[in-house]
Amino acid sequence: MPRMRIGLALLAAAALLALAGCGSSNNSSSSAAGGATSSASSSAAAGGTSTSGGGASAATDVSSCGPKPGVKATGSPINIGTIDTHQPGTDFTDGPNMINAYFQCVNDNGGVNGHPLKLFVELDQTQPAQVAAAAKKLIQSDHVVAIDGVFDLLECTIDQGYWKQLGIYEMDAGIAPECWSTPNSAAVNMGPRYSSDGAVQYALNTVKAKKIVFVQSNVPGTGYIAAGPAALAKAANVPIKQLTENVPINDANSVALNLVNSAGPDGSVILNFTPPEALVILQAAQKLGLEDRVKSWGCSTPCNTDFLAKTLGPKWNHKLFVNAELASPDDHNGPEMQNYKAILAKYGSSVAGGLGSFSQMGYLLAKFLTKALQNVHGAYTMKSVNQAIVGIKDYKTELLCQPWTYGNVALHIPNNADYTTTPENGKMVTAQGCTQISAADPQIAQYRAAAKAAGINIG
Amino acid sequence: MHPLIHLALSLPSWQDEQPFLVTGLALGGVYALSGVGMIVLFRTTGVLNLSFGAVGAFGALIAWQLINHSGMNQWLAYLVCVLFGGVITLAYGMVFGPALARRDPLVKTTATLGLTLILLGAMDLLWTSNGGASRSISLPTDNHGFMVGQIQVTTTDVIALAVGIVITVVTTAFLRYSKLGTAMRAMANDREITATLGVPVRRVEAAAWFGCGIVAGLSGILLADLVALDATTLTFLVISSLAAALIARLSSIWITFVAAIIIGVVDAAVTPITALTNYRDMTPFVLAAIALLFLNRKRTLSLARQEF
Amino acid sequence: MATAQLPGEAKPKTPPSAPPRIERGFYTRAAIIAVGVLLVIFLLPQVLSLYYVDAMTQVAIYAVVALGLGVLVGRVGLISLGQAAVLAIGAWVAARLLFGTSLPYEVVLLASGVITMLLGTLVGLPALRMRGLYLALITLMLAGAITVVLASLNFPNGGHGFSGYNGALLHIPPIRRPGIAQTDPAYFRYSVVVAVIMFLIVLIHVRTKPGRAWAAIRQSEPAALAAGINTTFYKLWAFALASFVTGVAGGVLAGAVRYLYSIDFQTQDSITLLAVVLMGGAYSIWGAIVAGLLLQLLPAILNDLGVNPDWLVILFGIGVLQVLTTAPTGIVDQMPKDIARLARFIGGLGRRSSPAKEPAQ
Repeated sequence: MPRMRIGLALLAAAALLALAGCGSSNNSSSSAAGGATSSASSSAAAGGTSTSGGGASAATDVSSCGPKPGVKATGSPINIGTIDTHQPGTDFTDGPNMINAYFQCVNDNGGVNGHPLKLFVELDQTQPAQVAAAAKKLIQSDHVVAIDGVFDLLECTIDQGYWKQLGIYEMDAGIAPECWSTPNSAAVNMGPRYSSDGAVQYALNTVKAKKIVFVQSNVPGTGYIAAGPAALAKAANVPIKQLTENVPINDANSVALNLVNSAGPDGSVILNFTPPEALVILQAAQKLGLEDRVKSWGCSTPCNTDFLAKTLGPKWNHKLFVNAELASPDDHNGPEMQNYKAILAKYGSSVAGGLGSFSQMGYLLAKFLTKALQNVHGAYTMKSVNQAIVGIKDYKTELLCQPWTYGNVALHIPNNADYTTTPENGKMVTAQGCTQISAADPQIAQYRAAAKAAGINIG
Repeated sequence: MHPLIHLALSLPSWQDEQPFLVTGLALGGVYALSGVGMIVLFRTTGVLNLSFGAVGAFGALIAWQLINHSGMNQWLAYLVCVLFGGVITLAYGMVFGPALARRDPLVKTTATLGLTLILLGAMDLLWTSNGGASRSISLPTDNHGFMVGQIQVTTTDVIALAVGIVITVVTTAFLRYSKLGTAMRAMANDREITATLGVPVRRVEAAAWFGCGIVAGLSGILLADLVALDATTLTFLVISSLAAALIARLSSIWITFVAAIIIGVVDAAVTPITALTNYRDMTPFVLAAIALLFLNRKRTLSLARQEF
Repeated sequence: MATAQLPGEAKPKTPPSAPPRIERGFYTRAAIIAVGVLLVIFLLPQVLSLYYVDAMTQVAIYAVVALGLGVLVGRVGLISLGQAAVLAIGAWVAARLLFGTSLPYEVVLLASGVITMLLGTLVGLPALRMRGLYLALITLMLAGAITVVLASLNFPNGGHGFSGYNGALLHIPPIRRPGIAQTDPAYFRYSVVVAVIMFLIVLIHVRTKPGRAWAAIRQSEPAALAAGINTTFYKLWAFALASFVTGVAGGVLAGAVRYLYSIDFQTQDSITLLAVVLMGGAYSIWGAIVAGLLLQLLPAILNDLGVNPDWLVILFGIGVLQVLTTAPTGIVDQMPKDIARLARFIGGLGRRSSPAKEPAQ
């Protein structure tokens, strides 16, 4: 029927319009100079300048990732596996993408004793069955010898029994509680609980807040996360109100109002949300004219992006204090940071967020593994590789406050000292240098005691 | 202490509660916009378009893309979004309207779920959330406003409410008093008979679908600004607005509007009540359930002469 | 208005109160199916990798859920947009009992089935006064409400109290499995056996009095009423049956995944469930199996191939549209024609004939 054809033509036109408008939607987000609103990380413009400026030295920096500069690794591959969350609203693939970038660099420069590193990535949509199945697939079908680079909402909980059975010591950028509470997992990040501790700690010790309102997204594990700030507030004799919000948030206005009312003029509001939700709450507070009605605002690590600083605007300068698990690429530019930026520029085209915590964590995870593998003598088996991983001791890095150790301990919280950053005219700048997370949090205390007993340097 | 007394004592004072009524009105405006938009289409074509939110979200994301990556002037981008809403809804209506014309309203509604899924999948493909990217649309009217009590109401909030009211008034009048409107009402009821009466069914249908698509696009921009520019959030926001439409028994546009406002106000008012605050997202559903199950318990609610 | 004939069903020539007629070849068909089931139970875990065994366990579970929804949609003509919430309830009850008691797994399954059935019937009772679109929308509302409650209540994880949820746990214990089915392949076999039992229960319903009453109600509710069939009772029975099998499926799900999260039971899941049930074919038992395969095996395969899962969502959307406009009986009957048709889908719609030839509902 002719009219139906017209309808179909319209449908096609609409589709074309949509696709044309979207053109290079994802890939352009990391390279768009003025497109600050599209990139989550530190402004791509700044990143672009520093990498292109260091062009000549970048080439040298890059090749230092492997033992034989310029020589491609051609031996049998060493298979490494990872499981990462990739679903609408939560996409962590920047992490494994950066690890891949680093591995490519290593492979282009001699590999590990001539062996190239091969990364097998399993993506999941936060379904426990998938995560469990992914683990089995990596081991049984892909024959990986180590697990490195897990950025996943659930993985630590679901697979820890399996890893324990196999003697695998995973390295991850964790989220679930088990990432920091079992012998078979060690994280390069601090995770929601300890990062929130950091933000609360700053409010208590530096801002001198008289009341804390801690609000987080209502996803499983809130009690575990809330226990940290609760312990810190109790130790400081400051009242704390614990709130959770269902995500996605439909009525940010009411949420912001409630937070401000609960905290009062002498209190601080501390948020633990993903960047989009945190942004929506802070923007609502500003639209309602409430941002000055509390003593300070705080946020756990996800807020630590230049994008957020830019979108929020100057009203939030030195008003929002964000816990930063890793050194900021803007404020630090030593040789290792340059190496990170160079590898990202050369091999990291699939890293959509560009400079930022995800790619930094990926860099660290890849680098630590590569270094550990140098200590393997003989065949690269699951046993030998994981022994090397557990043996990682005192790996110094510019990106972290303390040397990183795995070690044979009952739990691992190797990243337990942090920075605090604050927005200043569109960028996140350091407000406070490396500070240890307070041992008032019982888990921190437990780790430090166990680490000390095992002879681990806890800075 | 008796739990109810404890609950009563933890209720916030009127002083504390008052600003939430203001934010509640803004939230109600948000629900009203999509609720009215869906009812309008239902009254004119007999289809409850559940993809209303998804269409708006898609349009808003296109506008965002054009503003941030193609450097387009923002008003032009918003226009593109509104047009996109109109075009895609029209296209859907032209292809699937006649194909499903003689089916039960339930089937027609279920079909719009198909479109919703397609749009949801496409949006996530085209605009991923990789690297923690978050997008936002900020209308210039966000920067102006006035104080009500202790808090600021932005011009955008007012616009959303105003648009809701205008659509309600205009559509009610249009459907009741104009010839085209009467034709639409007749068509929504029974397409075949209306056709035999000499009404240009295809053209009327096209007008209805296009008009409602425009409303979806417009709502998309406003909701992206007021709520969040996120595909999943905006797509499923319609479920809460649907509650308002159900309270109005899918017939009265005015009741939909008022019900949506009430839902928004109650939802916001519950926020400071610590014991209930985590359940306040249930407000639309609870109110709809009460309205349907209790207020209508003596009556059988049915729309179709025949079943699915 | 005549409705689609249930494929493979003989039109009952005898009045509803007579005993069921056994068709010729029934025993042959039953034997073939039994052999097929045995092959699945014993051969499949040997042949497939653990990754796919886990996926097939999910297929078994969701086939049962699809079966329940199929009873509602296909047999009685009621669309429920909230079956994911019903599944969540079943899983919740099972998890609570598995953590809080040491009842044998089978008893727990029965309990979750029965409790879910009671809740489903309670909800169904007032909702039955609504028809068609209203009923679908109220199920959507209820599902939305349950999702919010779940977000705050969470799934039991070994804690105490009514909710059995301890949010502060550092080590979340896994949900236990039955003694005879501790490993993944063994649990796969267990879930297939449970699924077969559920299918048999529904089959018996369909072939006896309730099935005929449902068929009568689908054809024309006023006529069924006139024939003396208590339509409210039978519709309620359909709700109860659908809720029961879904509740049992929830119990099996609890043991399969071993960790339950509220974020896994969202509104979108109810919608995708409806989509695959429509695509698989709500009118036949086999359609439920196809729905299960679409929902759980296809994503596993695509994930293996590295295809973005968003394409699957789009596919389901297209599937819904295609089914509702051209093939109300779903893939099971359409499969041979479907492949060619899908390719010509867009152009095919344009060339379709006038309304007079539209398929009858």
